[in-house]
Amino acid sequence: MSRSPLLRKALPALVASVLGGTAFGASAATISRLTPPSELFASGNAAPVIARFLPGQQFDLQATVQPDVGETIKEFVFYVDGQAVRDREGNRTSIVTEAGPAETCVGADGKTTGKSGCTLVAGLPANTAVVSLRAFSKGAPGVHELKVVAWQNNGERITATGNFEIVGIGEGNGQVAKNIIILLGDGMGAAHRTAGRIMAKGYAQGKAKGQLAMDTFPYTGMVMTASLNSIVTDSAPGMQNYVTGNKANNNEEGVFPDDTLDAFDNPRVEYLSEYLHNLQGKSLGVVTTADVFDATPASMAIHTSARGNGTGIVDQFLDDRHLTGLSVLMGGGRKWFLPNPSNSTSPQPANGSQRRKTNDYVLPADIVAGWGASPGKLDPERDLIADFQAAGFAYAPDKSGLDEAFKFGAPKQLLGLFAYSNMNVAYDKIAGRRGDRTVVDAFGFPDQPMLDEMTDAALKVLSKNPKGFVAMIEGASIDKQAHLMDSDRWPLEVIEFDRAVAVAKAFAQKNPDTLVLVTADHECSGAAIIGASMKTAAELEANPKLGKDAVAVYEAAKFPKYRIAEDGYPISTNVDHKMLIGYGANADRYETWLPSLFPTKDTQQPFPPAQSPANPNARNEGVGALITGQVAGDQAVHTGTDIPLSAYGRGASQFTGVFDNTDVMFKIGRAAVAGERQNSQQ
Amino acid sequence: MPSFACRLPILAGLFLMAALPAQAGTSVTQAPKAPSALAVTKPLGTPPAGVTELKFRDLFKLPVGPKGLEPTDKLLGLDGKRVRLVGYMVQQEPPVPGHFMLSPLPVVAGDADDAWADDIPASAIFVKLPKSPDLVVPPMAGLIQLTGTLHVGLRDIPAAGRVAPAVLELDVAPERVLLRHAKSVAKAASKAR
Repeated sequence: MSRSPLLRKALPALVASVLGGTAFGASAATISRLTPPSELFASGNAAPVIARFLPGQQFDLQATVQPDVGETIKEFVFYVDGQAVRDREGNRTSIVTEAGPAETCVGADGKTTGKSGCTLVAGLPANTAVVSLRAFSKGAPGVHELKVVAWQNNGERITATGNFEIVGIGEGNGQVAKNIIILLGDGMGAAHRTAGRIMAKGYAQGKAKGQLAMDTFPYTGMVMTASLNSIVTDSAPGMQNYVTGNKANNNEEGVFPDDTLDAFDNPRVEYLSEYLHNLQGKSLGVVTTADVFDATPASMAIHTSARGNGTGIVDQFLDDRHLTGLSVLMGGGRKWFLPNPSNSTSPQPANGSQRRKTNDYVLPADIVAGWGASPGKLDPERDLIADFQAAGFAYAPDKSGLDEAFKFGAPKQLLGLFAYSNMNVAYDKIAGRRGDRTVVDAFGFPDQPMLDEMTDAALKVLSKNPKGFVAMIEGASIDKQAHLMDSDRWPLEVIEFDRAVAVAKAFAQKNPDTLVLVTADHECSGAAIIGASMKTAAELEANPKLGKDAVAVYEAAKFPKYRIAEDGYPISTNVDHKMLIGYGANADRYETWLPSLFPTKDTQQPFPPAQSPANPNARNEGVGALITGQVAGDQAVHTGTDIPLSAYGRGASQFTGVFDNTDVMFKIGRAAVAGERQNSQQ
Repeated sequence: MPSFACRLPILAGLFLMAALPAQAGTSVTQAPKAPSALAVTKPLGTPPAGVTELKFRDLFKLPVGPKGLEPTDKLLGLDGKRVRLVGYMVQQEPPVPGHFMLSPLPVVAGDADDAWADDIPASAIFVKLPKSPDLVVPPMAGLIQLTGTLHVGLRDIPAAGRVAPAVLELDVAPERVLLRHAKSVAKAASKAR
């Protein structure tokens, strides 16, 4: 990869600054991408403004420049509102061109091939240059014009124009939200919330007999969840859009898309955690029931265009804690933290490590210089647990270890890794706590904490920082079990998640300078409560092939009744006349309406139990009724449906109506920096 | 104690025990049946004298400790000893001459091992054909039993680009069976052409 510092010469800069804001001469050469993205660049329309930032929030400027045939790009300047953006240190800029072997990286048509070992994505002219200026920021609110001017060797200029907005956060009353808690029920649409309520609280004569904790929040709005490149998002942009204020492409987190193959060199945008750590010294806590490298937790702190790059992702959590303030990291995913000197992962090394050079990270110099980020290293042999401990983190491998870590008060920093990959789901963890340890023993982790326990621990650690914190608490397997259309497991995930919501609400009641948000990143599976079983549990077991003939609709569905144990979870989901779930975004499945003893297989587990069905279209095959789906593959998919967001605490009153997921960043920014005019709790 | 689970009639395999034929597991392309001398179609009797039964579930300590997986005392104690192991031949692409993997689950191992964990359990081991280093063993469907000498410790087979916690160096008898199986499959394939 060729990266040279920008050579600024006075004359072209002067000429360009004089010409800034005017049209440049026509040329066959073109600029095919200008970042941050804008409709002004893409279509010529000034609205809607796509890229928006808080005052002072950092982001990268980048352009993909396709020069005339035989020419190369020798230098470039970005202009904002006609003013050249200076790289005063001379180390925040780069020009990236195809540096791989020409025979491999350039096809017969003169276009890049995008093959392994090359620099640029496929389909670009071989002389394309990606030019960047890192870590730009601007304070003045309003829409600003962004222009890039690039010079070819022959002196010809190529230019393009876009725009972005700095969103003013206004003046508040100074009563700021010191603590920000985002509870993210992954994949949790309105139906998931309703199902959790029906199961946990029950209904009588049409009225819910109780409310979920999230139901008690005084403000609720609806969130539009689209990503930069689709009406249907995945979890990476679904989360990062909330905490960057900007849209990302699917599978990408903390970055804008680019035209290079390196997954860690994309143009960055500063996260809420980084912004508030830099501005106010806040800490960051990331808590999930998933593998901690998963898209949602990573989308609080990690900058990469490939959400699957586990080694690099977990390394960055630690390496860049000076940027994010990371103080708590809890979930599954131990496989990424164990040393793997062999750099081979299949089958897993004897210790179960999945670390690999191919998904580790090394940053280009301009990002390191611009953002102050750690450069990274391809080091599968790294013992990351030991490194966390050396950095002062207490390490908890299980629930007992978590309790032990608090024996003498809350530790200053906390790492909890309770499973090799995703943690077991509430259905199986609770069964284990009640004495049926079949599943948790099979996974090898019989002592995993529940999400409310992890939340309580995290808040105790984070609240030690007098400057406040940003926390993300994720109920990850609402989504994962909805993908698998396991209608007994995901409702318990909602209940587990809601118990974490209750912990956060109690914290906010004691600490009124806290804003608590409960939402999702997207809806998953098109879940719908279609009615209830017209059969008893015994009748379903006797005839699991009933399929739709078991579904009672409208008044025949009545009100399913679940008995709740002292631990807060249903004694059984397999009750007579149980609630039945349909899926509008489903793949084929065999349905018995009965619980599966073992969860459907999680391919990320190093040692999946042999009894786990491979997928929903194999689960109950030959036993249940075939329900054909509307999507290909073997799992239900995300949908583009708006999802609810409920808010509690300081600044909560902003979260009403229908708004875009990126709006959440600016509402939080107002609450955290300017303060609200009234305390919404009062 | 109450439990959620409706005890549907499921195949009653135990964790990593590989005691029954493949159920609804990872999809595996259709492979020829294993030679009858190796195929496991019913519960096995006790192993021959001098051979210890080793089950996949006995390879690592459960529950998992605070860090990585750890070998059991039983596994460590069998280093250099003759054992019998029952499992599935991993369908590996590309195959590795003189070796294949034996897994507690029926799985396919592709060569694209770049990012997330693949489906091969941590307890899968290498099987070495000491007298046939160039033999590519054709895929076999179903459970097979193998006896040989166990060598415990991380094994990196460069040609496979993979590591395993142990290698089973086959006895002469099962190696001969595999040699015949390979010839038989090759002959059938030749006829089919």
